[in-house]
Amino acid sequence: MSSVLRKQMFDEGPPSYAEVNRDVINALTTTTWRYWVTLGISAGAAVLFFIAPWIYQIIVGVGAAGMNRNAMWGTYLSNFIFWIGLSHSGTLLSAVLHITQSDWRKSIYRSAEAMTLFSLMTAAMFVMVHVGRLWFVHWTFPVPNPMELWPNFRSPLMFDVMAILTYLTASSVFIYMGSLPDFAAVRDASKGLRRRIYAVLCFGWRGTAQEWHTLGWSYTFFAVLVIPLAVSVHSIVSWDFAMSTVPGLHQTIFAPYFVCGAIYSGTAGIVTVMWMLRRYMGFGRYIGKLHIDNLSKLLLVLSLIWTYINICELFTAWYADTSFENEAILYRIWEGPFWWLWWEMITFCAFVPLLLFSRRIRQNWNVMLVISIIINIGMLTERFVIVASSLPRKFLPDAFGTYFPSLVEISITVGSFAIFTTLFLLFVKIFPAVSIYEVKETLAPLRKREARA
Amino acid sequence: MTLLASFAHEDTAVSAAAALREKGVEDFELFSPIPLHHADAAVGLGKSPVRVFTLLGAVLGAVGGFALCVWTATRFLLPTAGRPIIALPPYLLITYETTILLGVLATLLGFFVVGRLPAWKDRAYRPSSNVDRFVISVAGTAAAHAEEILRASGAESIERENAS
Repeated sequence: MSSVLRKQMFDEGPPSYAEVNRDVINALTTTTWRYWVTLGISAGAAVLFFIAPWIYQIIVGVGAAGMNRNAMWGTYLSNFIFWIGLSHSGTLLSAVLHITQSDWRKSIYRSAEAMTLFSLMTAAMFVMVHVGRLWFVHWTFPVPNPMELWPNFRSPLMFDVMAILTYLTASSVFIYMGSLPDFAAVRDASKGLRRRIYAVLCFGWRGTAQEWHTLGWSYTFFAVLVIPLAVSVHSIVSWDFAMSTVPGLHQTIFAPYFVCGAIYSGTAGIVTVMWMLRRYMGFGRYIGKLHIDNLSKLLLVLSLIWTYINICELFTAWYADTSFENEAILYRIWEGPFWWLWWEMITFCAFVPLLLFSRRIRQNWNVMLVISIIINIGMLTERFVIVASSLPRKFLPDAFGTYFPSLVEISITVGSFAIFTTLFLLFVKIFPAVSIYEVKETLAPLRKREARA
Repeated sequence: MTLLASFAHEDTAVSAAAALREKGVEDFELFSPIPLHHADAAVGLGKSPVRVFTLLGAVLGAVGGFALCVWTATRFLLPTAGRPIIALPPYLLITYETTILLGVLATLLGFFVVGRLPAWKDRAYRPSSNVDRFVISVAGTAAAHAEEILRASGAESIERENAS
């Protein structure tokens, strides 16, 4: 790694090896009362806004949600897409940037991977909320059952089950393997119960040449396997929609549209999370100007691609000129009840990110926090617009309906953010949120010869 | 008896490891806080056998996933509008996912087998090698012979441990 990049990575000058260990482990072990209060509030909100309405819905039935005969899918599904989308950033940062050897990723990728895992879990919960009768959810798995029935693997919903299960497994393995040496570092720096717990968690890691060698190879294989997986996961989610014949959904561009949107909102999510880590976990020394600048450039590129795909979507509809598609588009952007949401999403996700052409904005953490939240609000509504403006308008007027989210749905949507926050707060106290050994790799190597010269 | 020599610099540690191998001491371990990619040759590591695990897992996943689709679809034939019972495009998607799933799990298994983990028992180890020191441990009969080599290579300190 070049010394120029090394200088840019650390705003306050590079730390020493021992300081990296100390800072990261301190953030893990030193817990203030503010942390407990925040954890309490977010866990309480998760129960109040997510678990309680869900239990209510289980008791009275799925009719508690606003979905009906013509709009069978609603906010649960759109939130599911949103959360799956949010999860794609971690894969981008850890796997794609690992393969391309972009060293600046090393101090932020661990938290990005955690975002992947926890947003996937939140997404998986939405599936369970959506199916209504939760106790039959195992019917979607290919397990032998007394009815001698097997799932229909020709259905995109089954692709989804397999894709998400694989993604959950792969991303948990990925984050855990990458953390093994850091668990060992925590073990060495602590005493008592914590030491014993981390001794088990790190599998007895000692950092021998053999172990590093094996980890390096395995990690590269994980990265290579996870990249196509991430692309396939959101493509498959898009085919849940695109493989139906519903106007407004039946489009070949949906797979790249979803994948691009996923990475887009995920990268915005990383900016939000990094701001929090800097502000509340004291990682300002490790996450600096270079990171926010690079992340913002990524955001800018993704926003341009996203805008281009949106134009394509309108263009193909106009060019094909079938009455159903025309009506669907018109309903979405002008005549339907959610027309204003479409314009909001275009403003938030296509126009606001144009500000990122300015370097001063790109390097300002506080402005970027606001922009990243705006982008994710836009992306959340994008998914809602796709679902809620297409399904209530199918071919014949007898299939026309209206959909508006009920109070239960709105509450569960809000609660999902509390669930994610709770999981993430637990993460920062269990995993070293900044990768210790990989930050050390970006420092000047401890060499005798170089020191002399 | 185990000999533990710590080094402050990675290049001296790697050259000490190379010197040990040159003098015929094979039974040693090099501990470092970061992966030392240029040290692989010095400690005698080439291509990792993990790749065999990954390949076998992926192949098994591909065959298994496709077989799962075909087998379950032929348990109860449900012809729909003349469409094929064994439909390639959707089944290949399932195959794709199971290929990756088993590829990942096999790589994990490979990591454990090749890296000889988990190992929860106490072994010769210096916690400083997880912070900013590079440690070489030599076990068994070669230890006495190795001490001179390690000292000559510039070890900061050399300790002895009698356990295991």
